[in-house]
Amino acid sequence: MQRREFLSALAALAGSGLSGCDRLFAHRPPVTVFRPGMQAGHSIRDAQAIPEPGESIECDVAILGSGAAGISAAWKLAREGWKNLILVEGPVPGGNTAGERLGGVACPTGAHYLPLPSMASVHIREMLASLGVIRSQPFSEKPEYDESVLVHPLHERLRIGTTWHEELLSGESDDTARFLNLIKQLRATKGVDGLRVFAVPLACSSADPRWRALDALDFRSWLQRENFHDLALHWYADYVCRDEFGAGYAHVSAWAGLHYFASRDGQASNADAGSVLTWPDGLHTLSQHLLQAVPFDNHATRRMAGSAVRVREGERKAEVIVMQGARSIRIEARRVICAMPLHVALHVVEDMAGHGFHREHLPQQSPWMVANFLLRRFPQETGDVPLAWDNVLQDSRALGYVVATHQLIRVAKPEHTVFTAYNALADEAPEAARKWMLTASDSDCLQRAAQDLLAVYGPALWREVEQVNIHLRGHAMSAPAPGFLSNTGLQALRSANGRVRFAHADLSGYSVFEEAAWWGTQQAIALLGH
Amino acid sequence: MYMWRNLLPRLTSASNDGKHHPTCRCCLINYSSRTTLSGMFADRILILSVFVVASCGLAYELIVGALSSYLLGDSILQYSSIIGCYLFAMGVGSHVSKYVRDEDTVSRFVEIELLVGLIGGVSASVLFLVFAWLASPFRTVLYALVFLIGMLVGMEIPLVMRIFNERRAEFREMVSRVLTFDYLGALAVSLLFPLLLAPKLGLARTALLFGIANVLVALLTARHFREHIRSPRGVKLRGMAVLVLLLAAFVGAGRMTKLAEQGLFGDNIVHAVTTPYQRLVITQWKDDLRLYLNGNLQFSSLDEHRYHEALIHPAMQNLPAAHSVLVLGGGDGLAVRELLKYKQLEQITLVDLDAQMTTLFSSAARLTALNQHALTDTRVKVINADAAQWLENSYAQFDLIVIDLPDPSSYALGKLYSVPMYRLVSKHLAANGYIVVQSTSPWYAPHAFWCVVETLKAAGLHTWPYHAHVPSFGEWGYVLAAPHERFVIPTSYSIPMRFLDADTTRAMFSFPTDMQVPQVEANHLNDQVLVRYFEQDWGRMQH
Repeated sequence: MQRREFLSALAALAGSGLSGCDRLFAHRPPVTVFRPGMQAGHSIRDAQAIPEPGESIECDVAILGSGAAGISAAWKLAREGWKNLILVEGPVPGGNTAGERLGGVACPTGAHYLPLPSMASVHIREMLASLGVIRSQPFSEKPEYDESVLVHPLHERLRIGTTWHEELLSGESDDTARFLNLIKQLRATKGVDGLRVFAVPLACSSADPRWRALDALDFRSWLQRENFHDLALHWYADYVCRDEFGAGYAHVSAWAGLHYFASRDGQASNADAGSVLTWPDGLHTLSQHLLQAVPFDNHATRRMAGSAVRVREGERKAEVIVMQGARSIRIEARRVICAMPLHVALHVVEDMAGHGFHREHLPQQSPWMVANFLLRRFPQETGDVPLAWDNVLQDSRALGYVVATHQLIRVAKPEHTVFTAYNALADEAPEAARKWMLTASDSDCLQRAAQDLLAVYGPALWREVEQVNIHLRGHAMSAPAPGFLSNTGLQALRSANGRVRFAHADLSGYSVFEEAAWWGTQQAIALLGH
Repeated sequence: MYMWRNLLPRLTSASNDGKHHPTCRCCLINYSSRTTLSGMFADRILILSVFVVASCGLAYELIVGALSSYLLGDSILQYSSIIGCYLFAMGVGSHVSKYVRDEDTVSRFVEIELLVGLIGGVSASVLFLVFAWLASPFRTVLYALVFLIGMLVGMEIPLVMRIFNERRAEFREMVSRVLTFDYLGALAVSLLFPLLLAPKLGLARTALLFGIANVLVALLTARHFREHIRSPRGVKLRGMAVLVLLLAAFVGAGRMTKLAEQGLFGDNIVHAVTTPYQRLVITQWKDDLRLYLNGNLQFSSLDEHRYHEALIHPAMQNLPAAHSVLVLGGGDGLAVRELLKYKQLEQITLVDLDAQMTTLFSSAARLTALNQHALTDTRVKVINADAAQWLENSYAQFDLIVIDLPDPSSYALGKLYSVPMYRLVSKHLAANGYIVVQSTSPWYAPHAFWCVVETLKAAGLHTWPYHAHVPSFGEWGYVLAAPHERFVIPTSYSIPMRFLDADTTRAMFSFPTDMQVPQVEANHLNDQVLVRYFEQDWGRMQH
C-alpha cells in the first residue's frame, strides 16, 4: 500500500513538474481571433438606428450576400449575359467559402473540399467545367477531372489511441460491411415518385412519405434500431455529423445522416468514387474563380462592400439599405436575391412573416471554429503512416486538421505550411458555445483550437508554430435536426417567387456548397425566365 | 523528477532513530568526532560528493535521453521511458543499498562512484558505436545501460546518508544538507547541460566529463577516509586506471563520433554536413570518393562516369544545335561536367534544392577535382530552389531537360514523376528538345521503371527507355522522352567517352528477355501507383 502511494505521489509530482515546465518554457505564438460578421450581425439584431441614405442607386437585381449562394447566383446570371446587377458582399465576403494567406501560404478559413458532384448536380458540373476542373464530358457518368485538384494520397488517416490508421472507417466488422452495403442499395433506391430517395441537391430527393418518415428519428436511434452496434461505426457516423452538420448524430435527423452517405455517388473516369476535390485554400479558390467570371465593370454590373440592413418590398421595386461603415446607401432593385443566412434575413427583410417564415422556423445553427496554424517546419510524425491531407483523432471531439500544402509538387517539404484545425464545438449546446465564443480570451481560443494538434505532436508543436489565426463563426451552419424536412417556413421561402427571393444553404436545412449553389443558380434561372 | 528524494528521509529513518546503540557494530567503529577540524573537513568532502554525485546522476539521464531521441526520434517517448527506467532503477539501487554492511559503506560508496564514473562516462560513446555498428540490439543496450547507471546512482545517496549517520550527524541537519546539495547539483546540471555542455562538448564528451567528475569524487573520498577502506591502494590504482581511460576517451571522442559514422558508411568520412534538407556524407577509400545523402549512395567516383555519360550523351548526340540545358537535381555537378563538353551549349541551368550541397561541390578541392569545377563555369547558372516550384514560376525554354531527382520512395517524391509534372516540364521544352529522366533500376524495380515510361507517354511524349550497368548501383534505368519521334540511337560520339561506344549504346536501348516490360499504369497525382510499385519492387528485392 505504501509503495503504491509512493508511486502515485511520484507520478503526480512528475506530472505537475512537467506541466509546470511546459507552462514556464513553452513559447506561445501570436494569436489573432476573428469573429467574422459578429459585430455587423449583432447590430442588425439590436436594430441599431440606420442613418438617412446619402446615395441612391437603381438596379435590376440586387444579390445580398457573397457566400456560395450569392456568388453562384451572380455567376449564373453573368454567364447567361445578364448585365444589370449589384452584388452586396455582406459582412463576411466569401461566407463559408472564405480563405486567407498566412505567411505566404494559402489556407481555408471555411470549408475545405467538394465531393465529386452527383449526376443531378448539373449546376456544380457546369461550374467545374467552366473552370477547367472537369476536363471532358462534364455531364457524363464519369467525367475526367484535373488531377491536381483531386486530393492526392494520403487522403486521410485516423488516430486511434496513439496509432495512425489509413482509413477513417474500415469495412472489417460485420456491422460496417452491412452498413456500407445498405448505403450502396440506398444510392440506387427510388421513391414512389420515381425520384432518388437521397439526392444532391436535396430538392431533387423523393417526397415519398415512407422514406421521409426517417426524418422523425435521430441518426443514432436509427442505427440502434437497425441493430448496428459496432463502436467504430457509431464513432464514424457521429464524426460525419459533427463534420458535416456541426452537431452530433444524436441531434441529427436519420434522414439527413443517411442522405450524407447515400447521396454522394459522384464518379470520375480518373479517380476512385469517394474522391474529393480540394484547393490549398479550400473552396476559396472555387468561389474566387466564379466571382472572377462575373464581368464587374463598376457600372451596370457592380460589386459593393457593405451589409444589407433592411429590405422593404414595394409595389414596383424593393428598397435595400446597405450600410458601409457609418454611412448608408439606398438600392432600388426590381428583384432581390436574399443570399444571407436566415437568422440575419429574419431581421433584415421586413416582412418575413408575410413570406410564411417565423422565428420558430429558424433551423438550429451550429458554431464553427476554423484555426490556421502557420508552421515554420513540419512537426515530427511518429509511426509508419505519413501525414495525410485530412488527419482525424478518434479520441477527440474536435474535427482534426487539414494540411494546406498537401497538393503541392515539391522535392522537399515546403519551408512553411499551414495546418487548419476544425472544431464545431458540438459537445455543448450551440447557444452555450456561442456565449463562449463571445467572451473567450485569445489564449482560451488557442487552447481549444490546438487540442488535436497538441494531442498528436505534444508541446513540441509550439516550437514550430509561427502564427495562429482563429476564425469563430457563431452561426456557421444549419443543423438538420429531426423533423427538418417538414419545416413549413423553409418550404415557404423556397417557393417565394415575388420581388424578394431567397437563396442560401439554410433553405436545404444544412450547409454544403452544392446546396447553397443550387439555390443561387435556381433563383438566377428563375429571374432569367422572367 | 528529483522530488522523489523528499521521501528519502522516511525511507532511511527506519534504520536511524538517532540513538546510540552500544551493541551495534557501526557504533563501535571509532570515527573521529565531527566537532574536530578534520571532522568538519570530512563533512565538507561528503557534501561536495553529494553535489557532484547529484549532478552526475542527472547528467547521465539527460545525456542518454537526448541521445536516444536524437538517434530514434519521438523525443517524448524516449525521454519518458528513459526517465521512468532510470528512476525505477534508482529505487532498486536504494533498496539494494541496505544489503551493504555498515562497516563497508565507505568502501562500497567509493567503488560505486568508480563504476558510475566508468559506465556513465562511456555510456554515450558506447551507445553511438552500438547504434552505428550493431543496429538491432540498440534498445536493449540502451535500457540495460540506463538501468545499470540508475541502480548505481540510486545507491549513492542512501550510502552517503549512512556515512553521515555513522558519523553521528544530527539527523535533521544531515537530511537537510544532503538533500539541499543534491537538488543544487541537479539544478546546476539541468541548466549547464542544454545551454553549455551539449552544444559545446557534444553528448559523448559531456558524459565523459561527468564520468571524470565521478571518479575524482571517488578518489577524494578514498583518500580522506583511507582508514575505513579495506585496501586503499587497490582503490587508488583502479581509480587512476579509470581516470586515464576516461581522459583518453575524452581526447579521442571527436574521432569516436566519426568512427561511429564510418561504421555506417564503411570508409573514411571526408565531409559530413547536415543541411536543412539532408545529411550529406562524403567518404573516401583509396581513390574511391562516394557521396551519400541520408545514407543512400549517390555516386562512387570509380564508376560515376558510366552513370553520367549514359544520362547525358545519348540525348546530347541528338542535339547538335542545342543552346540551353536545364538540370533538375544533380547538385554534385557531375551531369553538368558532361554537358560542358559540348561547346555549342551557351547556358546550363542547374536547379538544386540544397545550397550547402552546391556550395560544397563548388568549393571543396576533392569534389571540384571530380566535377572539374563544373559549378563555377561561366556557362553554368546554379539556382537553389525546389524543382517544381521553380518550373511553375519560370518561362524559360530548354533544348534538353535532365531530371536527376531522388527515387519515388514517398508520396511527396512520387509527385515529381507524375503526369502533371511531366506536362509542366514539357512546357519548358523546345519543340525539337528532349527530356531525360533517371528512373530507378529496371532490374530491381521493373514496375517502377516502366511506370515512369507509361507516365511520360500519358503526358503526351514519345519515349526511349534504356539502361546501363553501373557497378556500384547495379543495372540502372533512364527514359528519354520528346514531343517528337526523331530520336536516333547514337552509333558514334562526337567527343571522347570512357564508357559509351556504338556497341554499348545499342545494348543500352535493348532490353534482354529477362528484363521484359510488365503491365503497369501511368502515375497520376491522385493515385500514385508509382510509389506502390517502387515499394513493392524494392521490398521484394530485400526478401
